[in-house]
Formats: sequence, C-alpha cells, structure tokens
Amino acid sequence: MNVTLAIARREWASLFRLPVGWVTVALFLMLCGSVFALAVLNPGMAASQRAFFGAAGWLLLPVVPAISMRLFSEELRSGTIEPLITSPVREGSIVLGKYLGAAAMLACMLAPTLLYSLVLWRVSARPPELGPLMAGYLSLLLPGLFYLSLGTKCSAFTANQTLAFLATLFILLLLLLGSALLPNLAPLTWRPTLAYLSFDARIQDFAKGVIDPRHAVYFVGASIPPLLLAGVALRARRLA
Amino acid sequence: MLDVRDVHKWYGSVHAVRGVSFAARRGEVVGLLGPNGAGKSTTIRMITGVFPPTRGAIAVDGYSTVDAPEAARRAIGYLPESAPLYPEMSVDGYLAFRAALFEIPSGDRQRLIERAIDRVAIGPMRTRRIATLSKGYRQRVGLAAAMLHEPGLLILDEPANGLDPAQIRQMRETIRSLAQNACVLLSSHILAEVELTCDRVVIIANGVILADGTPAALREQHASGRARIVVEVAKADASQAEAALRSLHETTVQVAAGDAEWVTLLVEGTDAVATRTAIGQTLVRVGIPCRTLHAEAPSLEQVFTKLLEQSRTEAAA
Repeated sequence: MNVTLAIARREWASLFRLPVGWVTVALFLMLCGSVFALAVLNPGMAASQRAFFGAAGWLLLPVVPAISMRLFSEELRSGTIEPLITSPVREGSIVLGKYLGAAAMLACMLAPTLLYSLVLWRVSARPPELGPLMAGYLSLLLPGLFYLSLGTKCSAFTANQTLAFLATLFILLLLLLGSALLPNLAPLTWRPTLAYLSFDARIQDFAKGVIDPRHAVYFVGASIPPLLLAGVALRARRLA
Repeated sequence: MLDVRDVHKWYGSVHAVRGVSFAARRGEVVGLLGPNGAGKSTTIRMITGVFPPTRGAIAVDGYSTVDAPEAARRAIGYLPESAPLYPEMSVDGYLAFRAALFEIPSGDRQRLIERAIDRVAIGPMRTRRIATLSKGYRQRVGLAAAMLHEPGLLILDEPANGLDPAQIRQMRETIRSLAQNACVLLSSHILAEVELTCDRVVIIANGVILADGTPAALREQHASGRARIVVEVAKADASQAEAALRSLHETTVQVAAGDAEWVTLLVEGTDAVATRTAIGQTLVRVGIPCRTLHAEAPSLEQVFTKLLEQSRTEAAA
C-alpha cells in the first residue's frame, strides 16, 4: 500500500508541476465561476446550486480525460515506464496509484468550488440546504471517478496522449448518450435493465438532491473493470 | 549473481535472441558488446523483466525472473538507455520516489539517498528540477536511482551514450567502484570504453554470442595467424636494421612511423615468441640498440570486426 501511495503522491504532485494541470484546473474553475455568477447568483431566486452542478457535470467530460490522458501515455512515450515496471511493484499497485493520484487531482479541482457555496450562504436570505449541496458534489465526484477509470484504461493502451484523450471522450459521450437514449429506444423487455444500468438517471437523482448509497456503489463498481483492463494492458507489456 | 541459460526471444516471426547463455558474478564488470540490432537491449530487457524470454531461463541472485519476478527485480538496479526520468521532479524527489518503490525502510532511506548522491557526485544538483539538468547529470541521476537500493546486479544500457570524454571517464570510475560490491552488466557499442571498463566481454551479433572472455583473452584467441612485432630503432640505424631483419626466415618488414630520432619497424612473422627472439638476436649481432621490442596484440575493435565478418559470412553461407 505504501508503494501505491508513493505512486499516487508522485502522480498528483506531477500534475500540479506541469502546465497542463494548472491550465485544466484554471479553465474548469473559470467556466464554473461564470456559470455560478450568471445562473446561480440571481437576486430573488432560491439559493440553489443546481445549475452550477449541471454545468460542472458536463464540463467534467473534457476535463477528466485531460487529467487522465498522460497517466500512462506519457510514461510510455518518454520511456519512464521501463524503470517503473522493472521495479518490484505489481501492476495493480501501479494502476491504483496512478488512479488515486488523478482522483486526488480531481478532488483538488472541485475543492475551490466550495467557495461558491460559502458565497451563496452569505448572500442568501434563506441559506441553501446541505442535503442537495452534498448530493450535488457527489454528482460530480462519483461520475468523475468513473470517468477517470475509463481515462486510465485508455491511457494504458497508447503512448499517444491525444489518442488517449479522444478515446476517453468518445467512450464517455457514447456511454452518456447511450444511457440517456437506449432505455427509451430499446425493446420493452430490455428497458428496465437498461434503465437500471443507466448512469445518466443516477446523475439526475443526485441533481435532485437524492443521496442513494446504491448509486455510490454503482459508480465505484463501474470504475473497477476499466482499472482491471489497465492492469491487463500493463501486464501484457511485461509479457510481450 | 546472474545466470542466463539458452535464452530465446521471438518478436512475431523475428528470432531476435537465439540461445544466449552466460553467467556473471559479484565483483565483475561484464560488457555486452554488439552492433545495433544485435540483441543486446532485448537480452537486457529480458533480464530486467521488461518482458520474459520466449524460451530459456534467467536467474538473478538465484531467483527466476519468470517464477519469482519481484524478488529478481529487487536484486537488480537498472539504468535504461538514455536514462528516462520524470523531468518535472527534483533530483531529491525522484530518488525518494525510487526508494519508496523499492520499499527501502524509512530509517535507511535518507542514508542511502545521501550515499547514492555522493557516489555519482550530484550533490549541487539535488534540489534542481531534472528538466534543467545536462545530459551527463541526468545520466548520473539515473545511475544514482539504479544503485539506490544496493542491488547485487547493476544493469546499465549504453551508460556512456551522449556523454563527453570527461563525463565518460567519471562514469567509468563510478562503474568500477560499484563493481566492488556488485556485478555490473553494461551494454555498449563504444569498444574502447568496454575495453577500459570491463573485466569480461560478451560479443553478441544476430542474437547469438560470438565470443565470451576477458579482453586480453579475446585478443589473444582471435589474433590473426601472423604475429606483428614492433621494433623501434634510432633513425641513423634504421636502414641497416631493416636490411638485417629482412634476412630473417619467413618475415616481412615495413617502416610504420618515425620522427627526427626514432623509426618504428613492423615485422610480421609466423610465431610471436620465435620472431621476437630472432629479432633480438639479429639486432644484438649487428650491434643496433633498440628502444622498443614487443608483440602487437590486436585491438578489441579488430577482434570485434573479425568476429562480425565471420558471423556475416557464415550467415550468408
């Protein structure tokens, strides 16, 4: 576990030492801040950040692949993967370490947006409720972790960061559109299953302020197969 | 420390390494020598566990790289070609990260980092970002990282690549000092460097070992059929000495070089000892003093070239 944490710490610190990390965070916060100022801070409206969470959720689609694209691709391109995989570290520790490092980066990126909630608290006549606020953040964090796992997997398969970014984005868009449209288009007998699997519906639940532990289990569970695939890709390199 | 037995590697239909076998022990610097594409890096990568051999067995410190990969990797310190490092990290940060990967106990960590930094002399650079270091310093950081956990086997892939002559000399000294407690396997195509650094040389081409031995043994073993004796005489005596030596049985004489005072004659004969003795006796008989009289050994480069040509001829046949 110490090795996993060392890899996570290095990954997290590296993202903050590189322009790509700061630019990604700055763009995300700037766009989120604009949405907050224009759509949330409206005099006379109820103190709700729903519009902000909705917009931030969509922003995660390009932002998360931008964080995850370099996790393995950069190591494969620069050759640093060689000293890493020739050290006595299991593939699982490497994948999990990198994933946790990127997850910490995602958390650091979301953390400053808590200031918006504080501002809303201060300026609202009737303070916003805590439940929807927590549900809103879970609607960003949990899908964000799932997106990151997909990004980690895509990054483990290619030395090209652009390809890793585009592949992650494409898969995410496909999954989002699929999970929003398929339950309505599929044959009737399939619809309940597809509706259950749909992660769009779960994000909508969070947006409504519903905190359902099953949704958390769903997103954490959905993150495991892509990480296992990343481990398989890494192992395949060792066995090539 | 290292035992490589009948190792093969296929990349699809390409048979890159064909039955390579050699062993190396602690205290030895072994040079893996070969032209580009000979199979050096593939052999090194199989030893370090980047990928397994298609056939054959490799053991490091008694641990199979296939059956006990983690134990084997723990016994290896590896500096890949071009020393790939994380440019955004500081030297100290990178070494601390490597120490964590090898699970060096926290009590020993700082001491081993200091020791590695001292041995490769990168103290003044330790707080600098790796991206700002010169090629030579990066190579040294890579070497410090490879030796950090005090491995029994150090594998250095082209460690002198891209270094200037002064840096190459420093690298050579460091490698020699590391070999006091470890086995060092290095690959290179710089023949002079291998000759100066290594106790033993394994020459590889087309995935096959062509020769294995000390540089001196290889030179002797692969010397051409005729012995070459170097004789240095005073310029005033040169023509008389040349004439006297030409009279020797089955020898040829040529004037190789000279300056204002001395002339070098190269005498070729069938046997090094007999020819040298005959030259000595002849010069004494005619009363010509000589400054130098020794048999010229072929350089490692000549041995290498000869073996490669033989290998190509055999492959063509």
